[in-house]
Amino acid sequence: MTAPTVRTVLALEADGLCKSFAGTPALRDATLSVRPGTVHALLGGNGSGKSTLLKVLAGVHVADAGEVAVHGSRWPAAAMTARRAREAGLRFVHQDLGLFDSLTVAENVGLAAGFPVGAGGGVRWRELNRYVAGLLEHFEIDARPTTPVGELRPAQRTMVAIARALQDRGQQGGDQQGGDQQGGDRQDPAAGSVLLLDEPTASLPDHESRLLMTSLRRRADLGQTVVLVSHHMQEVLSVADDITVLRDGRVAGSVVGRTPSEAELVELIAGRSVDRSRHSGRPAGDVVLDVQQLSAGPLRDLTLQVRRGEVVGLAGLVGSGRTTALSALFGGRRPTAGTLLLGGAPYRPRGARDAMRRGVALVPEDRLADAAFADMSVSDNCSATVLSRYFRGWLRAGEQRRDAQALLRQYDVKAPGTAAPLSALSGGNQQKVVLARWLRRDPSLLLLDEPTQGVDVVARSDIYRTIRTAASGGCAVLVASSDFEELTLLCDRVLVLRGGRVVADLPADDVTADRLTHLVQAADSNEEVLP
Amino acid sequence: MSILDKTTAEAATTSGPETLAPTQVAPASAPAGVGRRSAVLGFAERYALVGLLALIVLFFSLYPDSAETFPTRANLNVLLGNQAVTALLALAVLMPLICGHFDFSVGAVAASSSVACAGLMSRHSVSLLLCVLAAVLFGALVGAVNGLLVTRFAMSAFVSTLGMATLLGGVIQWYTKGQAISSNISDSLVSFGSLSWWGVPRLVYVVAVALVVLWYLLSQTPYGRSLYAIGSNPRAAALVGIPVRGYSFLGFVGAGTLAGVAGVLLAARTGGATADSGTAMLFPALAAVFLGATAIQPGRFNVWGTLVGVLFVSVSVSGLTLAGASDWVNPVFNGLALLLAVALSSLLASRRAAGRT
Repeated sequence: MTAPTVRTVLALEADGLCKSFAGTPALRDATLSVRPGTVHALLGGNGSGKSTLLKVLAGVHVADAGEVAVHGSRWPAAAMTARRAREAGLRFVHQDLGLFDSLTVAENVGLAAGFPVGAGGGVRWRELNRYVAGLLEHFEIDARPTTPVGELRPAQRTMVAIARALQDRGQQGGDQQGGDQQGGDRQDPAAGSVLLLDEPTASLPDHESRLLMTSLRRRADLGQTVVLVSHHMQEVLSVADDITVLRDGRVAGSVVGRTPSEAELVELIAGRSVDRSRHSGRPAGDVVLDVQQLSAGPLRDLTLQVRRGEVVGLAGLVGSGRTTALSALFGGRRPTAGTLLLGGAPYRPRGARDAMRRGVALVPEDRLADAAFADMSVSDNCSATVLSRYFRGWLRAGEQRRDAQALLRQYDVKAPGTAAPLSALSGGNQQKVVLARWLRRDPSLLLLDEPTQGVDVVARSDIYRTIRTAASGGCAVLVASSDFEELTLLCDRVLVLRGGRVVADLPADDVTADRLTHLVQAADSNEEVLP
Repeated sequence: MSILDKTTAEAATTSGPETLAPTQVAPASAPAGVGRRSAVLGFAERYALVGLLALIVLFFSLYPDSAETFPTRANLNVLLGNQAVTALLALAVLMPLICGHFDFSVGAVAASSSVACAGLMSRHSVSLLLCVLAAVLFGALVGAVNGLLVTRFAMSAFVSTLGMATLLGGVIQWYTKGQAISSNISDSLVSFGSLSWWGVPRLVYVVAVALVVLWYLLSQTPYGRSLYAIGSNPRAAALVGIPVRGYSFLGFVGAGTLAGVAGVLLAARTGGATADSGTAMLFPALAAVFLGATAIQPGRFNVWGTLVGVLFVSVSVSGLTLAGASDWVNPVFNGLALLLAVALSSLLASRRAAGRT
């Protein structure tokens, strides 16, 4: 890790940033030095603090301590606001691009930059279209101003968001009307701006990611400074000049002006202080779930078995088929081929009800969209899976409440009461409620999709304990996760999915986060994996 | 990891103290003063509309212009008899609304069901029982079509039921040729609509039965609870094994059936049927349902709240009329009540969704 010998003014600097949430530190003395005209990657695992760092810079979170400097002008980090960040030239593109798919490119730009209006207050479309056409050309986006954004390919959509963030129209207060004939100079992005991208490839397929990386590289070669937050090592290695790795809110290391080896990066990301209090390998029981050559959506010939008392992990990137696999097992998605056996009998679920009748439970990935009845009471949420149990002529509300109370105690859920709406609970506690309502059905097969996504550290370890207890009670558990640390801690066995296929089946002793990171990413480089 | 940050931020704002103090689990262990205060507030929220209703009754009973006529048994009977149809329509709107869909067609369904009932009787001399059955069945059928359009073909209920209402209005015009149907109406139907049993208008008994049945269905059966779950989050409902489409469909069928019954009551009350399209009946019913969502179980559409809502709207309008207010006051009041009720109930709902912060 050589120190930069360059004495030029840094484009962006952060010093000693600290930020904690409810006593849990998310950033501890984090630093960042971005050289102008480079792509600077900010790497780290889940919860390493990289998004928090970005949000502190954007003025979304107020830092507890630290300083920020943009092109040499310094402020205390706590004084960063969205407005100041913008004025200083920091331009953010968030994971959610904030584009309106049904509107055209020009309309999307106009909404952000202000529409040029004529004397009567009407939009001067020709002027806007000409301006946007120039912008698209400048950013080398192969699209027309009148194309609806929804029709663009994913990488182009991201580029449109970037172009929109960097364009400088209407920023100097008020719409500048007229005088736009003077050519393309005015379409140049704000000089010296710093573009900060938060996980721009998180939901992009591989080839789109690569396209986007090429475009970013090109922007940087033209002088644009780019900060790229990512957890994909391959893309970082392909594009970044400098790399800063965060772990547990601290800078674990940085690499300046050279391309490190993959192993070096993995070591920095995962760290060596991994707690190995993992699932003890007990003898597993009978086969509960037997999947033979299942194909559905992106899945190709998935073959796997889960035994009684066993926790099996599914590792893979977004789009590798892990969510599809769980959905197919819960009747949400019809397999196009393959056979399923559950408890030795053929299993062809046609919906959640079917799956539940056979003793299968699914905790979905997106709690807010797919699991939470946010405005209903905790008690109602607890009994959603077992409603008919309480119906004997009428619904036994008292019994429901008492059982909910018992569940809250059993699973250590902090709630203001069983009558409180679920939305009054923190994310971790909501997740515990969702888990509890399935475990109370004593499922023989428990499917978990990202079981601790959006869950704080304390609740996370509670949830791990709950899952282990369920497994030792005889439940077969299948966990899909992109958090490899999680799989390392939880699983007896991990299957690695890549491009819809199982590429590795690792027993607990062979599972490490580094190993999994290697395996799921190997597709990018197309090289065979280390033993 | 951005999601992780979000929830840690949430933890900081919404449940910081809880995560710090694990003992503070039940409301019982919360500071006593706070608990009592929120209990009092909760009670006030539940019964505010009931209290307001009582105040309005008191006011019109004492207000000189209406004091002679308002607090009389005769007026009460007129009031209850007139509001029976509105009450049934409000209950009809309730079912689809709970699972997240508007049904704007119930007024038109009631109107056309009354035309069907009166028309069969008057023009085809069909027996009373068959007429009533046909009218109710007609309502159920329209409800089923609405349900199919919304659940099977994923149409917006807002638009499709509005279309259905317009369509039915046109059909009524065609069938009645703009004339009221009032000849050859069965005497027993007319007397059912105007006479009383034990001093209470007979129509009210129908409403009472509907109220009890619907209360039982919505709050005491897994079906009712499932409807609320569907309204809260349809995707999550599907993932806990609730047949979302089937149940929503049944909600629409229920709405149509109730509107069909309301049509029969309308025929009984008016002694036949008019060429009216029934849209005017829809809005007091909607106002009542949304007002009802601010009472008894605040933030939630519920049966008893709806009843309070119906009474609130009808008592106020009756009092204003008796106090000598002009004709335009009625729609103005209904409109204001609807606006206020929607504003209040969405405020309550969002507060519920946002939790206690």
